[in-house]
Amino acid sequence: MKEGPGELGQKLVANMPALTQARIGELGYQNALRNQPLLGRGKSLRALRGQFSDKGDHCIVVGAGPSLHRRRVAERLRELRYQGTLIATESAMSYCLRNQLIPDLVVSLDPHAKRIVRWFGDPKLVPEDIAKDDYFSRQDMDPAFADELRSNLQMIELLNQHGKKMRIALATSASEAVVDRVIETGMEIFWWNPMYDDPNAPDSVTAKLQALNRMPCMNAGGNVGSACWMMADAVLGKKHVALTGIDFSYYGDTPYRSTQYYRDAVDLVGEEALDSIFMRVFNPHLEAWFYTDPAYMWYRNCFMEMVGDASCKTYNCTEGGILFGDNITFLPLDKYVQGTRS
Amino acid sequence: MSDVLRGNFTPKRTVDVTEEAASLETRFEQEAMKRLGGSIAFVSKHKVVWGEENESSPSEPTPESVTITKK
Repeated sequence: MKEGPGELGQKLVANMPALTQARIGELGYQNALRNQPLLGRGKSLRALRGQFSDKGDHCIVVGAGPSLHRRRVAERLRELRYQGTLIATESAMSYCLRNQLIPDLVVSLDPHAKRIVRWFGDPKLVPEDIAKDDYFSRQDMDPAFADELRSNLQMIELLNQHGKKMRIALATSASEAVVDRVIETGMEIFWWNPMYDDPNAPDSVTAKLQALNRMPCMNAGGNVGSACWMMADAVLGKKHVALTGIDFSYYGDTPYRSTQYYRDAVDLVGEEALDSIFMRVFNPHLEAWFYTDPAYMWYRNCFMEMVGDASCKTYNCTEGGILFGDNITFLPLDKYVQGTRS
Repeated sequence: MSDVLRGNFTPKRTVDVTEEAASLETRFEQEAMKRLGGSIAFVSKHKVVWGEENESSPSEPTPESVTITKK
């Protein structure tokens, strides 16, 4: 039976936890075991608690969503002379450094063996790797990644230059390539375990891992952008946390081809049935339509649950996307930054 | 179970049972299982489980923290 627009996507949202666990749960745990001898190269996340208090109660999270470029976030932050704490996903780090913004803290979570290291500049990248995986060149995330070899070289240089000035909350699930690269650049490491399951459940993998490596376990919310927000709220204790580049969606004019699961989706339902996977959402704050895939919709749903329990006040200054609702103040970035001065 | 339901005759022809073709959703899930998903699966009501303090970070646990008993 033919699925209507977004119908299959909605069904898949409910399956995202299981799909994710099947794909990377074991990988993350195995990476944690492999990283065990390297924990001494950094500190525990505990050492980050209360850090950056000299920068006040405000914090801005920079994610790598498409609005980051469309809304010129870095340029505006410089113009506005933002002085508060800045946390970036590893995927947004390149954008920040290219635009003369050095994040106070970078967060990395995903255990993927080859892709994530690209955000740090992969010294081992060869043209054959690029030919095998068009994940970066195809997507509507960072246009600079369209020329992959060039952007990789640029990122290697940038991080070699600035790494020593930066701190990274590095999940123990990180791949060998990421950990090696982080150590090489001199970034100051703060280790943490992402929660794999309920730490209070019998036979909890999370509890087992914590007993082994004694690192704090943090609820990552399914993705690194949400993990950044959690860092600001629960680790740094910031009172006012703004989100930028956290779209959890694509702009309406983005071709399906430029979305993260395009190839997988075409393989499964064919080009003609892609409308069944993607879900369209009207953002009333912007009076604009966006569309999203099952993974992003799951991230959004998870975030809406977590934000209800937050200690901080959350502002979405992304100026795009589908993250709006109870407990989130949808606000232009300029207004948020102006508020940090009062 | 097989002992209880064991047949008392031998069929003349072999019966082939073909499974119903998987639905679109099932096929998608099976394939998607290999490639879809986020960066980490579990989303908790807990924020941070600080665990045991060590010498390098002597600060106190926050109210939302839960201490795990070492196994």
